[in-house]
Amino acid sequence: MRVHYHICHECDELSKISTPNKPGRYKCPNCGAKLYTYKPGMVEKLYAYNLAALFLFVIANYFPFLSFHVAGNSSHANFETSIVYLYQDGEWMMATAILLTTILVPLIRILLYCILFGSLYYGYLPRYATQMLKMLEKLLPWGMLDVLFLGVLVSIVKLVKMGTIIPGTSLWAFMLMVLVMAASQSIFDPHQVWERIGDRKRLQRERGQL
Amino acid sequence: MRAVERGLTNCPVCHTIVKVPLEDSDTAAYCPRCDSEVHIRKPDSIQKTWAFLLASIVFYIPANVLPMMHVLTFAGTESDTIMSGVLYFIDTGAYLIAFVIFTASIFVPILKILILIYLLISVQKRSCLHRQRRKKLYVLTEIIGRWSMVDVYVVGTMIALVHFGGLTEITPGMGANFFLLVVIMTMLSAMSFDPKLIWDNSKECNARQ
Repeated sequence: MRVHYHICHECDELSKISTPNKPGRYKCPNCGAKLYTYKPGMVEKLYAYNLAALFLFVIANYFPFLSFHVAGNSSHANFETSIVYLYQDGEWMMATAILLTTILVPLIRILLYCILFGSLYYGYLPRYATQMLKMLEKLLPWGMLDVLFLGVLVSIVKLVKMGTIIPGTSLWAFMLMVLVMAASQSIFDPHQVWERIGDRKRLQRERGQL
Repeated sequence: MRAVERGLTNCPVCHTIVKVPLEDSDTAAYCPRCDSEVHIRKPDSIQKTWAFLLASIVFYIPANVLPMMHVLTFAGTESDTIMSGVLYFIDTGAYLIAFVIFTASIFVPILKILILIYLLISVQKRSCLHRQRRKKLYVLTEIIGRWSMVDVYVVGTMIALVHFGGLTEITPGMGANFFLLVVIMTMLSAMSFDPKLIWDNSKECNARQ
């Protein structure tokens, strides 16, 4: 077993980890920040969670989200209705922000997870694994489905006194998707994948392919 | 042992250890594992953080003064700012929602701005005080930053649901745009800050003790 050195990303402490592949959580001895976690079974779980999230994403975007009835009038909203109306009102900035943070970024993230961890699940490290992981890390703070979930709840409470709100299939799928993605985010730790990428690169260098 | 004393740092993307030239902090090294550009500290971290932070402070004023949304009914137009929304919920007795909106839209942005100002000034004054606590504050700003977006989503959802042809409609106000900018700017500001700067005067601090 190789001895592993790790630099804390918060405080720059250089620490030696003598058992890098023992399952568990590794913390910085100086400031207590989480360095990385090593848990077996991450690949399988991430693949499963994100396959589920992909199906739920399709359902959430295809079926009706919420309906609102007031005194004989009714309006129906899909997942992307707010974006369409905002765009029609000329609010392109808000429309773009909502489109990116609640549809495009989550979709790209789910797809990247599925491709990357699906391949790893079948024992194969994808050629562009480096680029995929880089992109996942960049996109991480900008996917805001969990925040949207809170926003939807607040709006429902705001409107419930004015009329009747009928939740659609999409809302349930969306709630499940938020849960599944939170679960997948809580176990995601790129450390193991980076180690594999590093090993591959070392091998390629020894063979003179780089 | 701090990594900087050995001329080492970790790749910002894949966290592997990289040797960087110490004498010239502007030249980048390249990560042997993922080919990212690696600097010993985030380049121009303090300037960038201040710039985004000042922008967010400027945007914060119109975000609170201008209406977030307009409610158009046959009886006329009603405009809602963030604060009037909170007051409305307190009046109607929905304290939990009032609390959520107040926390996400008023408290969290101010808290983030204040924390970042404190972090920047203490780093620039090379302070040795409360380093452990400042690191925790930084982690906190990174976590809570996104949650301010909740108000933008509330406006979006309301617009989508309250849409009855010409009868009753909700349209977004300018305040929502500025609020969106506040959230984005504070997020970018927190991302530009390098928490390692807090610990960079460890030697002086240890000598002083």
